[in-house]
Amino acid sequence: MKRIIFMLSLLLFFTATPAMAALNVVATLPRIGSVARDIGGGRVEVKVLVRPSLDPHFIQPKPSMLLAVRRADILIYNGLGLEAGYLPILIESSRNRAIATGRAGNIDASRFLDIAEIIGAGALVDRSMGDVHSEGNPHYHFSPGNVLRVAGGLAAAFAVADPENAAFFKDNLEAFKAKMVEKRKEWSGASLKGNNFIAFHKLFEYLARDFSFEIIGYIEPRPGVPPSSGYIQRLVGLTKDNHVAAILTASYYGRRQARWLARETGTNIIDLPHDVGAGLTNTDEDWFEFMDRVIRAIRAIRPLSSLGR
Amino acid sequence: MKIFFSALVAVLLITTTAFAGNISLEERVNKLERAIAAQGKLIKNQEAVIQSLRQGLKPEFKDGKAARRQLINGRLLPEDEDKGRLVSRIVASASRGVLGNNSRNVPGSSGFQSPPRSQSSMNPSISLNMDTFFYSTNLSDAELDAREIPGYRILNEEAGSARKEGFNLRSVELAIFAPVDPYLKLYTKIPINETGLEVEEAYFVTTALPRGMQLKGGKFKSGFGRFNAFHQHAWNFVDSPLPYLAFFGEEGLVEKGAQFTYMPALPIYTLLGFELLQGSNEVLFGDGAEDGAHAYAAFAKVSKDLGVNSTVLAGFSVAGGETKTGSIARDSEFKADSTIYGAELTYKWRPSKDKALTLQTEYLLRRQAGRYYADATDPSGVERLVRSQDGLYVQGFYQFGRWRVGARYEALDLFEDDFIKDGVNQDFGASPERMTGSLEFNPTEFTRLRLQYNYDEMARTGETNHELYLQLILGIGAHGAHSF
Repeated sequence: MKRIIFMLSLLLFFTATPAMAALNVVATLPRIGSVARDIGGGRVEVKVLVRPSLDPHFIQPKPSMLLAVRRADILIYNGLGLEAGYLPILIESSRNRAIATGRAGNIDASRFLDIAEIIGAGALVDRSMGDVHSEGNPHYHFSPGNVLRVAGGLAAAFAVADPENAAFFKDNLEAFKAKMVEKRKEWSGASLKGNNFIAFHKLFEYLARDFSFEIIGYIEPRPGVPPSSGYIQRLVGLTKDNHVAAILTASYYGRRQARWLARETGTNIIDLPHDVGAGLTNTDEDWFEFMDRVIRAIRAIRPLSSLGR
Repeated sequence: MKIFFSALVAVLLITTTAFAGNISLEERVNKLERAIAAQGKLIKNQEAVIQSLRQGLKPEFKDGKAARRQLINGRLLPEDEDKGRLVSRIVASASRGVLGNNSRNVPGSSGFQSPPRSQSSMNPSISLNMDTFFYSTNLSDAELDAREIPGYRILNEEAGSARKEGFNLRSVELAIFAPVDPYLKLYTKIPINETGLEVEEAYFVTTALPRGMQLKGGKFKSGFGRFNAFHQHAWNFVDSPLPYLAFFGEEGLVEKGAQFTYMPALPIYTLLGFELLQGSNEVLFGDGAEDGAHAYAAFAKVSKDLGVNSTVLAGFSVAGGETKTGSIARDSEFKADSTIYGAELTYKWRPSKDKALTLQTEYLLRRQAGRYYADATDPSGVERLVRSQDGLYVQGFYQFGRWRVGARYEALDLFEDDFIKDGVNQDFGASPERMTGSLEFNPTEFTRLRLQYNYDEMARTGETNHELYLQLILGIGAHGAHSF
């Protein structure tokens, strides 16, 4: 028993001396990690829990994630229920009070958004409608305005956690804002006004809103629910009647139904990256490059759609 | 209405005075002037009324910005208002620069909305799981009731408590949990079955201890081993593995007590835990064995990722304490010192949400030495009993899309099968064994349909129990957390 206590105290001693250096930031998803890196620069160490190729709706906690959260000074997550399946247990089991719920180090990035900017916020929903949350559509990283708000929020949060570098974070935020102005000019040429799309999942609602196109139907009859063959049949009519420009999907969704619908209706499938780094082998893509890829992919369809008219 | 009425009065006044006969012109002009002055007053009064009405209608327009700021504050860092204000100011300045004239700058556009996310935050989270199955076997209900694992335990101490052929409602598990305050979280698990309701678990967990430490207290599932901490509705098969059934009973090691765990900040995941337990488990310990808390458990677990898709988790556990149990045979009593050791290994490969392979094994070894009474009411019939027995289960699952197939092999008396009564080792026959296959369909996270077959030879009688289950588990309410 004595020996056990001795060993335990030895362990405590060795593990309890934190080397004060960069802020340890843990982000659940790649897009949040990307913004955190831009704002934190070299003064934060960002670790992302979820690999870009995975479907963020179906993440299971792993002990290695616990280890990362255990060391975090700041935990940033997407919010709006997207991490409900694994984050609460990670937070509690990490035994790290700095990032416990209600603490300054626990940052729900969706809280920086204007409530009016969240699609579907406050909707009366239940699970018969599929995988939906009353908090609103969680895929807000396709909206430049929302991402800017998150950047501003993170700059503030970093400044609170590390006041000495507040000016540094503010400068990074200014640079981020300036780049956003540039990029928005670039992307504004990609107006897709009047184009109709079919999407696999309610993944691109923010993209549709910000780039003024319409998503008129979904391959999933309800979020998270796979389609029956009868439902897909009905989609054919909808697709044909509305001059659909393309079917939007993400790499982690099955291709079978989308391919069938595309073939039946002579429509193209656009495989949009769903997150920063998704579908790439090198993972140092940032959010702007990700958005470039999204815009490029969706813009590629334009000539086809205008031919159809 | 008021305005219309006073206007009418004024018009009447003017016309009557203007056209009244045999009054001098001067007098008429004077009267007209007075009437006009009165009208002017009326108009002024009415303007004031309109002004006040307008203010009553839209007071928010005056202070829309402040209201919005408050709203943002409320959603940010609730812990510290000043920080929240600072943050919101930076957020506001951050977005204003680039966004320009968007809806945010329209007065009151968001000030009228309350944040829906905080509406139910004061209510605890509630979830409910229904666990029901259809059961079929070649044994009769009476035979099922009388079943035992000879040398280990009788399975149904109370007559009629075994599962029945046909439809069974195992439980409706109510879970209620919420943070108590910034320092504690409270969890309760209340399974309800047809005979009543039970407090299976009710415990607090600390959330604010420093340096990777955590305390848990109340009644909880022990951290011993791998399988033990899982709830019935989250089990991989309908039934618990044979070693757990033999050494802890159907419900596993659930005890009143206190648990301390420590997660050092080492390069690989490590969790160390110690528990002081009351020792109420009727198979391994027993309330009457000693006054006060008379059991403990300790465990150490490590885990490492092997590449991006694979994870391995290993652990060692030990539990011990004083025993007084009537579970070996009907009417018997066994008073002893008990120690049980456990070793676990789990491997998981999950390249995507649609594909996963899980392999899991646990080995348990129990050692006991004490006094055995074949008839608990007769103290003269005492024998010295030493038991040293072990058991193992190995299971594997492969998930493809919404389907999952599983297989399990379990055995007792693997390396040790000592049941030594007064120096003589008893022979109970062939080793208890069971083999299981299952097929699951999980249409959503909240529905599980499972078909399971058991080839069960735990009773050592030579007669195999062929069991078939069709189980349905449904969950509603708060999203339960997955565990690794």
